[in-house]
Amino acid sequence: MKVAQLSLNEFSSLLGGCGLRIKIGPFNLSVQTRLPSLVHQLHLMYAHYSLVDKHEIVEFHVRIVSRRSIRQPFARLVQFEVDGRTPFPPVPLEQALSTLEWGINLVIAVRINHLLLFHSAAVERNGQVLLLPAWPGSGKTTLSAMLMHRGYRLFSDEFGLMEPQLGEFYPLPRLMPLKNQSINVIRNYLPEAVLGPEIPGTLKGTVVHICPTQESIDRLEETVEARWIVFPKWVAGAAVQLEPLPQSEAFLLLATNAFNYEALGEIAFNAVTNLVRGCECRRLVYSDFDDALTVLNELTDG
Amino acid sequence: MVKPAIESKHHSVLLAAIRQPATLVNYSNAQWELLLRVARRGKLLGYLAAQLELDKLLDKIPLRAANLLRSSLIQARKQQQVVSWELNRLLWALNNQNIPLIVLKGMAYQLLDLPNAAGRIFADLDLLVAKEDLEQIESALLKKGWQHHALTDYDEHYYRKWSHEIPALLHPERGVEVDIHHTLSSPLGKLKIDALSFRAAAIRTKEAGVYTLNPVDLLLHCAINLFQNNELADDLRHLLDFNEMLLFFSEKQSFFQQKLVRRANQLKLSRPLFYSLYFSRLLLHSPVSDQLEKKLKYQPNWLVLGMMHYCVPLALLPQHPEHSSKRATFARLLLYLRSHWLRMPLYRLLPHLVYKSYLVIFPNKPIPRGQNG
Repeated sequence: MKVAQLSLNEFSSLLGGCGLRIKIGPFNLSVQTRLPSLVHQLHLMYAHYSLVDKHEIVEFHVRIVSRRSIRQPFARLVQFEVDGRTPFPPVPLEQALSTLEWGINLVIAVRINHLLLFHSAAVERNGQVLLLPAWPGSGKTTLSAMLMHRGYRLFSDEFGLMEPQLGEFYPLPRLMPLKNQSINVIRNYLPEAVLGPEIPGTLKGTVVHICPTQESIDRLEETVEARWIVFPKWVAGAAVQLEPLPQSEAFLLLATNAFNYEALGEIAFNAVTNLVRGCECRRLVYSDFDDALTVLNELTDG
Repeated sequence: MVKPAIESKHHSVLLAAIRQPATLVNYSNAQWELLLRVARRGKLLGYLAAQLELDKLLDKIPLRAANLLRSSLIQARKQQQVVSWELNRLLWALNNQNIPLIVLKGMAYQLLDLPNAAGRIFADLDLLVAKEDLEQIESALLKKGWQHHALTDYDEHYYRKWSHEIPALLHPERGVEVDIHHTLSSPLGKLKIDALSFRAAAIRTKEAGVYTLNPVDLLLHCAINLFQNNELADDLRHLLDFNEMLLFFSEKQSFFQQKLVRRANQLKLSRPLFYSLYFSRLLLHSPVSDQLEKKLKYQPNWLVLGMMHYCVPLALLPQHPEHSSKRATFARLLLYLRSHWLRMPLYRLLPHLVYKSYLVIFPNKPIPRGQNG
């Protein structure tokens, strides 16, 4: 059963009661909140997710709760909670959705070590994964949002989840936070995209979330191997360039960027070595989406 | 013995798992989901994972549970490695100074390869040294790049005058807290601890210049931490350390339990040992005989024991991740006050608690010491 099949009332009573339990990839998530504004936003943004089967284990239990502050008695604050703990300070009510989404990322990043977590966007085309690892701020969210609306299946804009022994990648399609200038870029380039409310004043500036495409969510149980690793960089006015990248450099960029490379030690070393050896590695410089799409399509055509 | 005041569902899934890990193969998914959350709060996921791995049961439980347990075990092993490396760096920094270091707690359990060390989650390196050596060690470490946290004047004063350790040192590249103690409990406390007799009885490890407390003292130190130094909140894992070590050494050394009781009486540490034994039997169903407690001097009277019997399980056992109980919150408050009462005389305690409450409301405005007296 999908969230979209629930009436707003049913949806709201799950969130306000024992929790809305949904499948977000290899993990199940339970969300609780009584904030009417957040309930409305999630009803729209989480529409395509499936509810967890009744007796399945849920890994992550998160909550957004109202907070009072002694120092700011009239401010309407909310806070992210996981299993009764609060890793972030309270934020204004309008930021409920962004603090929820960042909180879920944090919990995945600190709790999961049975999979290797690359700090990377990942999309699929022709049955194989294209990894897009990059430093924060280099536009991997924007690029993967664009690709997802041009025939690629979204795995994640944040986590490349790899089973270290088998090399299979797991989809984790979640809301993607577009920041500042990239918001208008996507509004203009992808008028069909489903966007959330504009959230000003977060730690990372103004944020708007973009929903994964329905196809990406419907197929979130289909794992595949990676075939291409592309390090993207958006440079204003640059002509598009897709050039080969030495495997040694790809290795370093991937390993130093992974969340749990050190915790996994030798397992991670072997996994990244095998991954890089089996992939075509490129460096992409672009300023125009259409050009980037053309060269990436050529690369992934087969 | 009377049963603990309450054993609600989230407590019983945890306690049953600890008492008999083999029963975990029969847990339903709903029980697993609750257990994973409660065990995480008690920092016991790594411990449970290690138990299940030892008994080769990780493949016989639901995959989602096994994945989270394996993840915690990987994390715990990484932290153990990181703290070992910190000890290595410390020995390098103190090279040739001939200062004996006694390693305490988690790192000691690991060096001695005790059964409770597997999967144990800890992030600090705790050391006991002679008070005379403190200055030399601190300056050597500061010279080699370790730093103190930025402390308020009040905290600095608190550590230097009233605490049993100096402010934590950490190396900015590695971030492991190094806590250097000169005795095992606050020198202001009601319990007077003779650090010298602990140091004199320390035992060598494979590493030159590195010692641990001897087995009897390991247990006494664990008991002191539980029932003298700590506030007991979410401390079940330390009671588990105590019980596992007690069972391990009782099997390995003849008359171990008698030696333990004799040393506790001799060092006037029988009260914390009494509680550790009492609650190990009550909560963990430890097979040690209740006759052991009867041989201890300075037992609590029936009123005090009654209060502890009611409060301690509510503090040691993790709260439900969603519904915190008022009774547990109250019990934890009482034990918090108790632990401070034991460690500080009233004329120091009251201003200290007033200051701490002030900081809860205005966390960013510590009062400089000049004004605070």
